Amino acid sequence: MQLRRGGNSRCFTPGTCMTYIANRLLSVALTLLLISVITFMVTNILPGDVAMVIMGTQSNPEALAGLRESLGLNDPLIVQYGRWIGGMLTGDWGNSLVFKEAIGPLIANKVAASALIVVMSMTIALAAAIPLGVWAAVHRDKWQDTTASTTALMGVSLPDFFWGIMLILLFARYLGWLPSSGFVHPADDFIAAVRHAFLPSLALGLGLMAHLTRMTRSTMSSILSQEFIRVARAKGLTEHTVIWRYALANAIGPVMTVAGLQVGYLFGSIIVIESLFNFTGMGWLTYQALLNRDIPLIQSTVFVIAAVVMITNLVVDLLYAAIDPRIKLP
Amino acid sequence: MTKPIVEIVGLRVGFGGAAAVKDVSFSIQPGETVCIVGESGSGKSVTSLSLMRLVEFGGGEILDGHLMFQRGDVTMDLVTADAATMQSIRGNEIGMIFQEPMTSLNPVFNIERQLTDGLLMHEPLSRSKARERALELLREVRIPEPERRLKQYPHELSGGMRQRVVIAIAMACRPRLLIADEPTTALDVTIQAEILALLNRLKREIGMAVMFITHDMAVVAQIADRVVVMYKGDVVETGPVAEIFAAPKAEYTRALLAAVPRLGDMAGQSAPEPLRLVGDTHDPKPLTPRATPEPLLEVRNLTTRFPVKGGVFRRTVAQVHAVEDVSFTVNKGETLSLVGESGCGKSSCGRSILRLVEATSGTVHLGGQNVLAQTKHELRGMRQHMQMIFQDPFASLNPYMRLQAQLTEPMQNYGLDNREERAAQLFDRVGLPRDFLRRFPHELSGGQRQRIAIARALAVSPGLIVADEAVSALDVSVQAQVLNLMMELQADLDISYLFISHDMAVVERVSHHVAVMYLGRIVEIGPRAAVFENPQHTYTKSLMQAVPIADPNQRKLDGDLAFKPIPSPIHPLDYQPHQSVYETVGLDHRVLVQAG
Repeated sequence: MQLRRGGNSRCFTPGTCMTYIANRLLSVALTLLLISVITFMVTNILPGDVAMVIMGTQSNPEALAGLRESLGLNDPLIVQYGRWIGGMLTGDWGNSLVFKEAIGPLIANKVAASALIVVMSMTIALAAAIPLGVWAAVHRDKWQDTTASTTALMGVSLPDFFWGIMLILLFARYLGWLPSSGFVHPADDFIAAVRHAFLPSLALGLGLMAHLTRMTRSTMSSILSQEFIRVARAKGLTEHTVIWRYALANAIGPVMTVAGLQVGYLFGSIIVIESLFNFTGMGWLTYQALLNRDIPLIQSTVFVIAAVVMITNLVVDLLYAAIDPRIKLP
Repeated sequence: MTKPIVEIVGLRVGFGGAAAVKDVSFSIQPGETVCIVGESGSGKSVTSLSLMRLVEFGGGEILDGHLMFQRGDVTMDLVTADAATMQSIRGNEIGMIFQEPMTSLNPVFNIERQLTDGLLMHEPLSRSKARERALELLREVRIPEPERRLKQYPHELSGGMRQRVVIAIAMACRPRLLIADEPTTALDVTIQAEILALLNRLKREIGMAVMFITHDMAVVAQIADRVVVMYKGDVVETGPVAEIFAAPKAEYTRALLAAVPRLGDMAGQSAPEPLRLVGDTHDPKPLTPRATPEPLLEVRNLTTRFPVKGGVFRRTVAQVHAVEDVSFTVNKGETLSLVGESGCGKSSCGRSILRLVEATSGTVHLGGQNVLAQTKHELRGMRQHMQMIFQDPFASLNPYMRLQAQLTEPMQNYGLDNREERAAQLFDRVGLPRDFLRRFPHELSGGQRQRIAIARALAVSPGLIVADEAVSALDVSVQAQVLNLMMELQADLDISYLFISHDMAVVERVSHHVAVMYLGRIVEIGPRAAVFENPQHTYTKSLMQAVPIADPNQRKLDGDLAFKPIPSPIHPLDYQPHQSVYETVGLDHRVLVQAG
């Protein structure tokens, strides 16, 4: 993150902001180019190729050679890469070998599904972590703090698929309040979509919440011991204002930065969780692609996930700069 | 006699079992300035925080006593007041300002919001009326361009301006009592003088009482009507300021006053002399310099600049001219002090000499060898002859190493023998018991740690010690002991000191020669007596004018003071600074000529 403190005027002005965004987008594009090279190379170095996946290992060697020729697999790697990246740039992402349909629309659909889970789990995590972390910081070294820390530690130490199983047992099996699996598109039935996304989001949210609670607690407790908090109290402001406005306004930036970085971690976690809940989003799609050696699909999913994570972090950095006047965009 | 605005009776405050304030009683009359003075751990801040009932937020508890506060015709006990009542008193009837202007303001809210939210809390004002009042307050505390400041954020203001904003916040609702907890300790001496003058004026105009907490006897002498001396949680003496200074009754007050170096004390003396402390039996001997001075350290045209990076590619876009064409000589067995305000380049100068930072140009000769021309390997050998003592004795010792190991390590580096025996002797030398050798730094007090830092510097028998604000973080009584130790070591071991300090009174006490620095240059240099008794440069004069004197008969804070703010030392890359040209005004006494 290229943020800098200092300067002598409010830094978040539209002009510098646009230059900054342009610079960051350029660096996102360069990083994506590098990622495309790496994923393309790795998937090509692995034994077996697309023709083998299509025809099966028991197929006729001559037919296999013919297919290789027609798919252009005998061309030099650089030519193959050029063809692939050219397609990616012009919107022709090719066809999935497993699903037998165009990758572009397929991924767009799944990204929308996963976005629902990512947004919901992040909301759940933040909505729980911030009050819990503030509560722990305000009552530092008392029983409230210990309770919150223990809860957070439990959340971190147990893997999210464990929470997934527990939640399915509790809410779907015994209580029967929520469906245990499946996906409904929000455009079809919004309530049903949220109900289906709730358990996987909660399972992911518990792990996220633990990290964010600890971050909120440590940031808040260092801020609460600063002199401007004493000054705020000496002004006669209520405790509510002191904690929820004066202190939290300073803590929210670091917490958001961590939340932004966790979006990357989330895209790793959804591979397991979506498969567990049979929720057909990006995680599920990536898993299917890997399982079936659907090479074009693997390349595209990795690419899209990298782009989403990078853009999320750019947005978080911009929000941070909007909140904290000391941050100067270079 | 009028009723006191506040009367503290038998106050006792504890922190988790330990009593920080044991039995404190005193009162403050309307319109009076009462100074609470004491060293760290005396309970002076805890007393003031108790009065605001803010001590509870820091884990403290009022165990006993009364805080009788006059509200209209009613006297109420703040100890039993509920949270809502305290909120209506805080910031409204009692205002408070704190020590650290850099952290006293919320970094993410602008000045307007921080000035008005207290007002809106306590008074039925509209937002625009509150804004007008905020502007008025900023004018009252003499902040330039108040309209612009309202929209600015704290990091855009200097330390002195921030402290003015904090004062404006405390004054917003016209409190009848202002509590000021070390409000000038973190500020430069000229800004301190301005802030003290400001508080004096506001007190006169508004007629409020001031409870002023400080460790600085000189500040007390300048502003107090009455003084309360505290020691280890108890009040040891109370009285009018003139009496406290002229005829202190308590032994502790006498010891404290004896430890305070006063500007002007050394007038007429030819050489530095240790302070005469209470209970000190042996007669301090003056540090008379040798008849023919023998130069040890010769600094010529030293210039140090730091790059300012900017832009996407982190290129150097400007330079901080930290040290600019500085020349001076330190003689064997003598002390030269570099004195100046924060940012004047005195520390950078000391660090450049030791090559802790690399100088841009110039020469530094130590015992005939050019330090700046040494290779890395040669430099390591030279470092045996030049050592450093740092400001913060808490940060400059390794917390994981026993003290013996910290003393023997430099000796091991230079292959010295009998290390353990020498470490024990060094402990005797700096006045620490030998059984401390097995201890860790956290088991020692601040003064003891600074003695270790001195012992460590002495371990390799250097000729030169650079002491960078070596006594600034210490309490006065400890500071006096450490200063005396340093002077005693100089007399016995013939050490030279480059003494870097912002404290004019301390500098006057220890120096043979003094160099005053301003904006990276030495503006005046000469023998101590010449610089202090006959200052020639305007900056030296204003510095001397700003230094508070620990004598209530020499008050100098009348009217508003406004010293010229120090310009920025940052210049574009193509900036060509002129050479330092000096005019000789006396024997060895030179003054920078204002060059065009």
